[in-house]
Amino acid sequence: MSQETMPLVEDTVTKHDEPTWMADKRRVAIDQLPTLKMPRIQRFDYRDWQLMPSTEIHWQSSSASLAQSELDATTAKMDDQQISVVQVGQTTTQVKLPAQLAKQGVLVMDLFDAMREYPELVKPHLMTNVIKTNETKLTSYHMAMLTSGIFVYVPRGVVVNQPIEAHIIQDSTKTDHPLISHVLIVAEAGSEFAFTQHLSTVGEAENIANCFVEIDAAEDSRVRFSSLDAFGPKTETYFERRGLAATHANIDWAVGLLNDGNTIGNIDTNLLGEGAETDSKMIAITDGTARMGINNGVTNRGKHSVGNILQRGVLLGQSQLVFNGIGDIIHGASGAKAEQENRLLMMSNEARGNANPILLIDENDVLAGHAASVGQVDQQQLYYLMSRGIDRQQAQRLVIRGFLGVVLSAIPAKTVRQELITTIERKLTDEN
Amino acid sequence: MSTLEVKDLHVEVQDGESGAVKEILKGVNLSMSTGEIHAIMGPNGTGKSTLSETIMGQSAYHVTQGDILLDGNSILDMPVDERARRGLFLAMQYPAEIPGVTNAEFLRAAINARRPKDDQISVMSFLKELDKNLDLLDMNEAMTERYLNEGFSGGEKKRNEILQLLMIKPAFALLDEIDSGLDIDALQVVAKGVNSMRGDNFGALIITHYQRLLNYIKPDVVHVMMGGRIVKTGGADLALKLEDEGYAGLRDEFGLDVDLVDEN
Repeated sequence: MSQETMPLVEDTVTKHDEPTWMADKRRVAIDQLPTLKMPRIQRFDYRDWQLMPSTEIHWQSSSASLAQSELDATTAKMDDQQISVVQVGQTTTQVKLPAQLAKQGVLVMDLFDAMREYPELVKPHLMTNVIKTNETKLTSYHMAMLTSGIFVYVPRGVVVNQPIEAHIIQDSTKTDHPLISHVLIVAEAGSEFAFTQHLSTVGEAENIANCFVEIDAAEDSRVRFSSLDAFGPKTETYFERRGLAATHANIDWAVGLLNDGNTIGNIDTNLLGEGAETDSKMIAITDGTARMGINNGVTNRGKHSVGNILQRGVLLGQSQLVFNGIGDIIHGASGAKAEQENRLLMMSNEARGNANPILLIDENDVLAGHAASVGQVDQQQLYYLMSRGIDRQQAQRLVIRGFLGVVLSAIPAKTVRQELITTIERKLTDEN
Repeated sequence: MSTLEVKDLHVEVQDGESGAVKEILKGVNLSMSTGEIHAIMGPNGTGKSTLSETIMGQSAYHVTQGDILLDGNSILDMPVDERARRGLFLAMQYPAEIPGVTNAEFLRAAINARRPKDDQISVMSFLKELDKNLDLLDMNEAMTERYLNEGFSGGEKKRNEILQLLMIKPAFALLDEIDSGLDIDALQVVAKGVNSMRGDNFGALIITHYQRLLNYIKPDVVHVMMGGRIVKTGGADLALKLEDEGYAGLRDEFGLDVDLVDEN
């Protein structure tokens, strides 16, 4: 990307009615990009991936019939009362928010609408505190090329009892439809809510997905984030999911990574405030020839901050899966706790897996622990199940479910848990 | 009526650490029919568990000679799950723990594995059967929603094995040291479960060290196993005689050339 892209940024202001501050952010990002490095995923090489496929900002509208049919398929699974936002490609096709919450100042809306209508809320948070544009080539690429997104804002002290459900459907009915999406979640002091996103692909074209989530959690707030990632086999994905937790704020992650295609990603919570907490749970399943490299990290800066990472991965076929658990305790974070457990189950001799705990501790008064393992299916468990007449395939499925169970049962939303189980069963059935 | 026959069975295992191959069973002969309860008694290290695991099809045990026939057909080439579906059941000494899979879910899967796809057991009949058997075994309903054997006490695991037996209703049950580690109350409950299965369509092979269990489950036939062979077969009174004389006494009486592991 170069200066040639600049005129295209002017376009976003004139043709897409984008605020000039946003165009400025894009320009800064474009300027910085050549000086930055690609993000690092330890023990995972993705140099040959095309994660920055174009030098143009790709505005596009999905066909109305596609948008409608995808919306219908999605809403069929929801009940009427659900708080929801549905996006097909770059088009926000539905937003449902009870009037009561709207009156309290809760916002759930298209990010670009929010830039125009609530710049005072979006501007200070977008790629500013949580993820910075100048971290890597890919963060600046994201900022420069951003074309879709969701904005969630929950004001001070507001508790939302139902989860906010987002469905982001990548439109890969054509090539040159990169999904460059940003979910910006702002939790004001003392607010409490759950946000669940469902990622999927419609269409067979090869495209990238570059998806960011930023959670800015003010003091005493509590955000429970869940994600079910199920992009198609032709989608190459890069994601950043990051949280910033102020004093006594709490950010929980529950992520099911079930993309069919190549994926790299980074989940990280910055526990900035005293007593801030995070619980990060992840399940990943790789199959076919897919490659997946994930960093899951917690940075303890605040005194008495607590971070837990629990990851389980299942490898099928000739796939590759790398889990790096990164615990970073900064000097001064006395009384901090950091625990992590990363386990991989190899279902195939041709699969390759790594589970790497990485602990960087610069403070004495801390409690830190880690466990990691890469193993095969327990033959005793298989034998036991089969001795009751259950065939090998089903016995394997039950053992895998057991392996994932400790994470599955900790996922708060029952619907997400069920959807996850269904998707896992489908993957395992396809394999056999 | 079903039959289970073991003919001149020789079995080897490979030691996990040293890699050395060792012959454990050295020509076992045994024949039983449904309607009968058999007991196998014998000292430690004599191959009792090897026999039951080999009949079930545990892959660590290699048959080098002989055959195992179920209703006249060899089962040696059948995988474990097929043997189970054909009517064999092994109540294990050390049942595996499977986190994430509930007991109830597992039991339904095991029952449905025996039924055609278009005739799976209905939830109502399953629960009815389950409640009846939980009652019989004096087990708490909460056990069924716990993960399979996970965190179960020794006694709970044994009861859970018998619960599976009652739910699955096999033709032949192999009960491997089902009495070990049980107090007298639990032992009586387990015996009650097995006795409730007695009838023309059920046979059991009870493996035990001690005669005690046989006070509660009366065997029709008692076999004594030593040194990888069945050395003596008789009626229920043989167990009592063993209790009096010990294995060493029996060995000496028959002039058997066998080393006993626990002999001083």
